[in-house]
Amino acid sequence: MTATVSTKRMDLHVSPLGRVEGDLDLRVIVEDGVVTKAWTEAGMFRGFEMILKGKDPQAGLIVTPRICGICGGSHLYKSAFALDVAWRTELPPNALLVRNIAQACETLQSVPRWFYALFAIDLTNRRYAKAKGYDEAVRRFAPLVGESYERGVTLSAKPVEIYAIFGGQWPHSSFMIPGGVMCGPTLSDVTRSIAILEEFRHNWLESRFLGCSVDRWLEIKTWEDMLAWVDENESQHNSDLGFFLRFGLEIGLDKFGAGCGNYLAMGTYLHHEKYNRPTIEGRNAALIQRSGIYANGRHYEFDQARVREDHTYSFYQGSGLLHPFEGRTEPMDPAEAKRQGKYTWAKAPRYEIDGLGYVPLEVGPLARQVIAGKPGEAWQDVDPLFSDIIAKKGPSVLVRVLARLHEEAKLYKKVREWLGEIDLHDRFYIKPVEHEFGRGFGATEAARGALADWIVLENGKIANYQIITPTAWNIGPRDSQNVDGPMEQAYIGTTIQDPGDPVELGHVARSFDSCLVCTVHAYDSKTGKEIGVYRIGETG
Amino acid sequence: MATLLWFQGGACSGNTMSFLNAEEPTVCDLLTDFGIEFLWHPSLGMELGEQAQALFHALARGEKPLDIFVFEGTVIRAPHGTGRYNMFAERPMLEWVQMLAPQAGIVVAIGDCACWGGIPAVAPNPSDSIGLQFLRREFGGFLGKDFRSKLGLPVINIPGCPAHPDWITQIVVALATGRAHDIALDELNRPKTFFTSFTQTGCTRNQYFEYKQSTMEFGQGTRKGCLFYEFGCRGPMTRSPCNRILWNRQSSKTRAGMPCTGCTEPEFPFFDLAPGTVFKTQKISGTIPKDMPAGLDPISYMGLAAAARVAAPQWAKEDMFVV
Repeated sequence: MTATVSTKRMDLHVSPLGRVEGDLDLRVIVEDGVVTKAWTEAGMFRGFEMILKGKDPQAGLIVTPRICGICGGSHLYKSAFALDVAWRTELPPNALLVRNIAQACETLQSVPRWFYALFAIDLTNRRYAKAKGYDEAVRRFAPLVGESYERGVTLSAKPVEIYAIFGGQWPHSSFMIPGGVMCGPTLSDVTRSIAILEEFRHNWLESRFLGCSVDRWLEIKTWEDMLAWVDENESQHNSDLGFFLRFGLEIGLDKFGAGCGNYLAMGTYLHHEKYNRPTIEGRNAALIQRSGIYANGRHYEFDQARVREDHTYSFYQGSGLLHPFEGRTEPMDPAEAKRQGKYTWAKAPRYEIDGLGYVPLEVGPLARQVIAGKPGEAWQDVDPLFSDIIAKKGPSVLVRVLARLHEEAKLYKKVREWLGEIDLHDRFYIKPVEHEFGRGFGATEAARGALADWIVLENGKIANYQIITPTAWNIGPRDSQNVDGPMEQAYIGTTIQDPGDPVELGHVARSFDSCLVCTVHAYDSKTGKEIGVYRIGETG
Repeated sequence: MATLLWFQGGACSGNTMSFLNAEEPTVCDLLTDFGIEFLWHPSLGMELGEQAQALFHALARGEKPLDIFVFEGTVIRAPHGTGRYNMFAERPMLEWVQMLAPQAGIVVAIGDCACWGGIPAVAPNPSDSIGLQFLRREFGGFLGKDFRSKLGLPVINIPGCPAHPDWITQIVVALATGRAHDIALDELNRPKTFFTSFTQTGCTRNQYFEYKQSTMEFGQGTRKGCLFYEFGCRGPMTRSPCNRILWNRQSSKTRAGMPCTGCTEPEFPFFDLAPGTVFKTQKISGTIPKDMPAGLDPISYMGLAAAARVAAPQWAKEDMFVV
C-alpha cells in the first residue's frame, strides 16, 4: 500500500485490529498525520443477557464466565456476589479468601500473558528498527520465539494452576456459588499452591521480569524513584520491566494515548472478615482494592445507582440512558442501525457525577492505581505511585502499561498472604435460602477493569440480567451528548507516522487490554465494497 | 512444516486461553519442535488490517497452503442468515468460514461453540448460532453433512467448554509426526482416544459412587461423597478424559468438588438452564436420578444402588479428603 501521509485529511479504517482479544474495528480521521476523530466498532453480538432471562437464578455462574474466557474467573466472582446479595447469604471467611485467591491468580496469569503475547510484540515492529534498543526488543519479544516471550507466556500458566487446585480448572470453572465455594481444600492443596506461587515468583516475576525482589520494587513511590530504580543496578536495568521502561521512553510511548483522564474503579477483593453478609451498601467499606471515581482532579465515592448505559450509537432499539436494573438489550440488524448513525455493538456506560452530568470513565489498572492514591486503611491497597506519575507525566500508553505491570508485584503478595489465612478446619460454605425474589449487584476488577452484574429475580427465575464489562467502559461509543468513549478519546492527537502500518493505533488499543469478546454486546465494521483494510479515502 | 490458521466466530477466547496453558508441548514448542507455522491467530498475529486480509484472501483462493484450519466459537447467522452480527475483516465471519474451510487439509472445531453451538445457541439463540458441522446432536451444522476437508475428513470436533489444551495439541503433534492414521473419530466426530472414557474415569470420588454415598453439601461437605446424587454431576454419562488428563496439571472440577456439567456433550448446558436444573440432580419421584449412568436402566440401577448402600462400609460414610 502506498503510504500517503500528506497534509490532506484521510479516513483510515483498520480491520481487523488484532490482538485485542476479539474483534475490534477502528475508524479514525487523520489530519496532517494526527488523529482528530475516532470510532471504535465492536463487531460481534451473542446476546448473553437475552439468554439469561427466564433461566435458573444460578445460570449466571455457568453463563457469564463464558462471555469472556480471558476473565472468566472475574465474571464468576462478581456473578456469585450478585447472587449473594440477592439471596442475602452468609459467607464464611474461608470462602472470601478462596474467591480472592482465585480471582487474583487469574489476574497474575493475565498480566504476563497480555504483556508478552498481546502488547510487547508490537515493540518488534520494523518501525522501531532505528531505535537503539530495537535488536534487544526483537531478541526478547519476537512472537513465539523471543526469549522473554517464550518464558513469560509459558510461565503465565502457573498462577492458574492454583486456580485449578481450588476451582478444578481454569478457564471456566463455576465453583463460586452463593454461600461460598464448592471446594473443601486439604493441607496439600494449600502448600502446593504456595509452592507454585513461589516458583512463579522465582522463575519469572523476580528473576526475569523485575530483576529485583518484589519488596524492592514496591519501595517505588514516585516517578523519580522509578527512574532511579532502572539505573540502580544491571539486574534491574536489564530486566524485562527495566528494558521496557527504557525502550518505551525511547520510542515515545509516553507521548500519546492519554485518554479521558477520568477514572472509575468498582474495586475488588472483599475482606474476609468484613463482607460476610454481602449487601450493596456494605460493599465499598469492605474492599481491599478500593472503588472510587477520579474526575476533574477530585475523588468521589462509587455508587452503583449512578451507573447508566447509553445506546444512542449502539446497535440496539431506540436510545436511552438506563440504569442496569432497568436495562434492555434489543438487538438491531446492523445494516438498519447504521442508517440511524449507530456504529457498534458496545453500549456506552456512563456515570453520573454532580455538576458534571453523565461522563465516560476509563477503567483498568491505571484507574485502580489512581484510586489507590487516596488515603485509606492499612489493610487496603493504598499506594501513591500512580497519582504521582499522573501528576508529573500525565496518562499515556506507557503509564497505562506500567500500572498494569505494577499490580503484578502487589497481587503476588496478597495471594501469598491470603493462602496463609485459610483456616482448613473452618467452613467454606454456608447453605443459603434460595429466595424466589431479590435484586443483586456484584462487581469486581477483572485484569482489564471494572466488571459488574445486576440481577433481578422474580418467581424463582431471572427476570433481568445486565452485565457491564470493562471493555464496554473503555471502548464504548459516543453518547447522546456526542461525547466520545474513553478509548476514542485516547486516539485523539496520536501522530500516525505511516498510515500503511499504523502501529500507534495498535499500541493505544492494546494499552487498554480490551478483550473485545468481553463486550457482551459486540459489532460490525463498515460493509465497504472494497476489501481494503487501511482504506485511505480522502474525505476532503 | 504445517500451516495453521485460527479464527474466532461467536467466541469467548476460552479455548485460546486454555491452549496457552499447554505444556508438553507448549504453544511455542509447536513451532520450534514440530514445525507448526501459525499463519494468523486473533491473539498471536502480528499483522494488522490489510496485511492480514491479504493473507486470508490468498488462503481462501488456495494460493497459499492451509493445512490446519482451527475454528473457535459459533458460526453466527443472525440477522436473517446474513451473519452481520459477527463481522470480521470487513465481511460476515460466516463468509470467511465458507471460503476457507474447503481449502483446508483438516478443519478442527475447538470448543463446544464451534462443535455444536454451545452456550450462545441456548434458547432463544439470539445470534442464530450454529456449530461447524452439528447443531446440538443434529448432524449437518453450518458446513453441511457432506462437507469434507481436502484430506477427505469431516470437521474434527474437539469439544469442551473450554477444550483441554492437550486435546488439541496432542492431535496436532499426531498430525505432525505422521500418526494421522491413528486418529479415530466417534459418532460425533470427536477423537476416540479422548472421548471414549468417562469424566468419571479416574475421579477421586469413585469409591463413594460405588457405595452410593452422596455429598450432602458444598464446601467442607465435599470432603466426602459423590456429586452425582444431589448436585447434578454428569461424570458418569459424559465422555471426556478430565480425570485422566488433569486440568492445569493439577485437578479437575469433580476432584475440587464441582459437579461435572457435561460440557463435552452436545446438550451442554443441559436442560437449557431451566429454573431448578443448575447444580441439582433431576429426579423421578424425588429419589431416582432421571439421567442414569451410561448404559444403565432404572430397574438395574435401583437394584444395584440398594445392594451397594447395604454393603457400604463405614469409611464410605466418612470424610476422605481431609486436612
